[in-house]
Formats: sequence, structure tokens, C-alpha cells
Amino acid sequence: MKLTRPFLCLMAVGTVTLILSTCRDSRAVPSYSRQTGMPCATCHFAPPELTPFGRKFKLDGYVFRTKPEVTEDKDKDKKTHDSTLHLLEALPLSVVFDTSFTSTSSPQPATQNGNFQFPQDISLFLAGAWADHVGSFAQVTYTAQGNHFSWDNTDVRYANNHDLFGKPFAYGITFNNNPTVEDLWNSTPAWGFPFTASNVSPTPTAKAIINGALAQDVAGFGGYTMWNEHFYIGGTIYRSQHLGGPQPNPGTAFGFNIRGLAPYWRVAWQTVTKNNSLEFGAYGMHVKSSPNAITGPTNGYTDWAFDFQYDRTIPQFKNDVLSFRGTYIRENSSLGAAFGAGGASLIGHRLNTVQGNVEYHYGTKLSGTAGLFNITGTPDPLLYPQAPVFGSANGDPRSNAYTLNVSWWPQQNIDLAVQYTGYLRFNGAQTNYDGTGRKAAGNNAVFLLARFVF
Amino acid sequence: MSRIFVHFVAAVAISACLIALALPAGVYAQSDVAKIYKANCVLCHAADGSGNSTSGKALGAKDLASSEVQKKSDVELTEVIDKGKGKMRGFGAKLKPDDIKQLVAFIRAMPKK
Repeated sequence: MKLTRPFLCLMAVGTVTLILSTCRDSRAVPSYSRQTGMPCATCHFAPPELTPFGRKFKLDGYVFRTKPEVTEDKDKDKKTHDSTLHLLEALPLSVVFDTSFTSTSSPQPATQNGNFQFPQDISLFLAGAWADHVGSFAQVTYTAQGNHFSWDNTDVRYANNHDLFGKPFAYGITFNNNPTVEDLWNSTPAWGFPFTASNVSPTPTAKAIINGALAQDVAGFGGYTMWNEHFYIGGTIYRSQHLGGPQPNPGTAFGFNIRGLAPYWRVAWQTVTKNNSLEFGAYGMHVKSSPNAITGPTNGYTDWAFDFQYDRTIPQFKNDVLSFRGTYIRENSSLGAAFGAGGASLIGHRLNTVQGNVEYHYGTKLSGTAGLFNITGTPDPLLYPQAPVFGSANGDPRSNAYTLNVSWWPQQNIDLAVQYTGYLRFNGAQTNYDGTGRKAAGNNAVFLLARFVF
Repeated sequence: MSRIFVHFVAAVAISACLIALALPAGVYAQSDVAKIYKANCVLCHAADGSGNSTSGKALGAKDLASSEVQKKSDVELTEVIDKGKGKMRGFGAKLKPDDIKQLVAFIRAMPKK
């Protein structure tokens, strides 16, 4: 069956109509919810968007709980040298099951358009308190494309709270595998919009290194503090750790091999009132990397980024929430290794990424989001070479697009989403961007998702 | 430039680790009930009971020193802690009756407003 544009529009309209006609009250039960006894909506406006409570729960190491534990407290009389024990009675496991449908305006050459994935992916989580001050968000994911489970986003942290200068002082240590996965806000890459996306529709080639290029390909160790519930500062140092690669790492067949340490830094200021939550911040990363080797010439990347997030609860509209988020990432790169190997026509490059989105949460049942991104940078026909669909005929990294998403949560742990991404420019041009006559709009995609979290 | 970056971030990370390892053992000796309060109540009600934490503001947590809370009987406070009320979850499954009793006394001892 050929999926024509009218047919796809009809499907989208039908789905939205169904959504609007059958909303009802709901509860959800993933492992954090089981541990705290609280519904998903306490920590999320809509997963994975964190509320102030959710941010504090993460800041405190995912350990807050109200449910039964296996405990042994210290001997108060100090007659022994025993340790304490506070262990969850139930292992904090959760599952996410995603199934999806993707259709692009123009099929990718020699492939079937209208692509069903059942499942698109399945994630297993070890997410909850390990001990008094130690907790985790650890994820392994099966993908239909890889046909196997692989380690996914992971953040294991120790956290504690004290007073400093008479104000609350939270601090912690994080072990994680994706720069910005440790962040508390949804304006930075790891937890930013779009919160769900197709894994088969084409996406632009140029991407800042902090914008997901190192996800699950590094091991990081860092620390963070939040003082007076306003000022957040954190830093993590990363090394390459290639999943599926030999250990110790010889670097071969991997595009990024961090030389020395790659520092990630984050500062942010937030203020929260009953109906408002505002955050401004900056973050960045510096990476020196040798492609396919651990010695020899290096490519250097320095990313500077700014972000903001504002969530407004509207009492007049039954506490619906309006959210605004944005980030700007400036990447300066010095691609000596790529230049020497003939993979770049000049050494110095710039890449600018602007992302922004606005979202209206209709209670916890429905949310609608409009987002856009714009990528500009130094043209380089060797770095961005010509190739069908994914290449650039003019070596220009410029791309911009908008994404519209409607998510319906019939229950807090079920997400049925309709998403449309429209490209105004793709890899440097609107028409014939890849040299084979493909238009940027040919990559416009309809994405339907059913997500079950339990 | 890169060395400065590395050293800065490493310093932040190491400092946080040292603070984390050093603080709990020594400086902050707390009573048992203070520890129970810190582990279970501070997230929303704040260290001073005011409810002015970021989570507390967002959820509308009560000021524990307010007359609204203080006028409740010990039985009523015990029941709220045990079974929860409104957005607050009950802690009866986690805390022992004696812990809840101590918490009620702890709340009673907060400076009245």
C-alpha cells in the first residue's frame, strides 16, 4: 500500500481526534514511582520533563523513598562496629516499550517508506535507590536496527545535603556516560526536545560534539553542587569507552578517541515560586580526539553553550503548564587530524546550533510542542562530502527545521505521540542538497509512537 | 586553554568528592529524629519546616510551624505522616511508629509563627 500524503494527514487528524475525545484521569508505576509512592506527574510535567520536585529528586541522587525497606540501623550505644543498611525491598526495575511508524515525504533510495518498528526499542532500567545516598538511572536498550541490547544512558550518583553559610547545600558525585545526561533541566541536549524521535528518518550531518556525538561512548566522573537552591555548578571529566570494542581501547574503528581528559562544565541559576520556575545557564565541553587511533594527530573541539528554561503554571487553567526552553551552542573546532588525512579542507571550523521550543501541558493528559532548530557553520566539501540522502552537494552544514509534537497520556505511563518534522534546509540547500536531486522537504517526516512505561 | 579547562573541571570534581567524603563523618552530628526529618521531610518542607524548598513551593507544602499545622492534634499529625494527605505520600510503610512519634514531637518543637 502506498502511503500518500492525504492518507498520512488523515491518520494524524484521526489520531488527534481520538486523543481529544477520550482523555481521562490516570496514574503510573515506574520504579521511581514505586519507590516514592508518588505519581509520575510529581516529578514530570510529562516524561522526561522534570518538575522542580523531579529536579530535586535527581539532585539528591534518586534516593527519596516512602516505601518499605530492609533496614538495620547503627548500634546507638556504639557497642559494635556494624554498618547501617537501608535497602529497597523491591529491585527498582522499569521497562519502556516503544513501537513506532515513520514515513518521510520522499522515500530513501531503495528502501521501503512507511516504516513500522515493533518494537522500535525496549529499554530496561535499574532506576532507584541503591543505598542511603546512592542511586541510579541506568538504562539498557534493545533496538530493532541493532537487534540486541546495548548499554544506554546511565547516571549513578552519590548525593548529600548540608548547610553552607546558613543555606541549603546539596552536593554529589556522578558517574555517567553521556555529557549533559547528569543535567537537571530539559534545555540541554541529553534530555532536550524532541523527547522522542524516529530513528530511521534522515537527520542533518553537522552536529556539535556536546549534542549527542559522545553519548554512550564515554565514561565520566564528576561532581556537582547546588547552593541555596539557586546556584548550580558541576563538572565531569570524560574518557572514551567504546561499547563493543576491545579493552583496553586501541581506538581503531572509532571516530572519537579522547586524548587525556575531556572536561564538561555546567553552571546554572534557578528560581522557583509556586507557579514559576526559571533557569538560566551555561555549559560546555572541550575534547581532543584522535580518529581511529589513540596516538597521532588530534582534532580539537570546544563547545560553549547557553540555555534557559521557563515553566509557568497557570492556576486559571486548572494548573496547566506552559514551558519555554532554548539553547545556543557554539563549537570551535581545530581539525588537524582530519585535515592531515584529507577529511577536511581547512583546520579551523565553526558550528552554531540554536534550538528552541514551546510546550503547552494540558494537565498531565496532553501536551503540544512546537520546536525549531537552526544549524550554521563553516562550509567544507571534504568534511561534509556529497552522498545520497545524508551528504551535502555544496559542503555547507546549514540546516533548519521545525518539529511539531502532540503527546497524549491516557495514563501517566502511556504516551501516544504524533510528530511532524519539516525541513526548510537540509545539509546546505533547499533543493538538490545531496547532488542527486533530493529536496530538503523530502526528509519531512511523520512519526507515530506508542510508548508504554511500567 | 585546554589545560586550564581540564584543571578547573578536575578541581571541581575532586573538591566535591572530598566534601562528600569528609562532611558526613564529622562535622554534622545530628540527633536520630533530625536525621529522620532530613531524610524524609526536608525535600518538601525544607530544613526549617517552612515549605520554602523548591519542591515545597511547587507542591504547596505546608509550613510545619504554622498555626494551621500546629493546631492539629498529635493523633492527626501522626495520621498525616502515616497515611499521607493530598500530594503528600504516607510514610507508614517506611517509618516505624516510634519514628513517627518522634517526628511529631520534632514538629511541635519548631518555633511557632
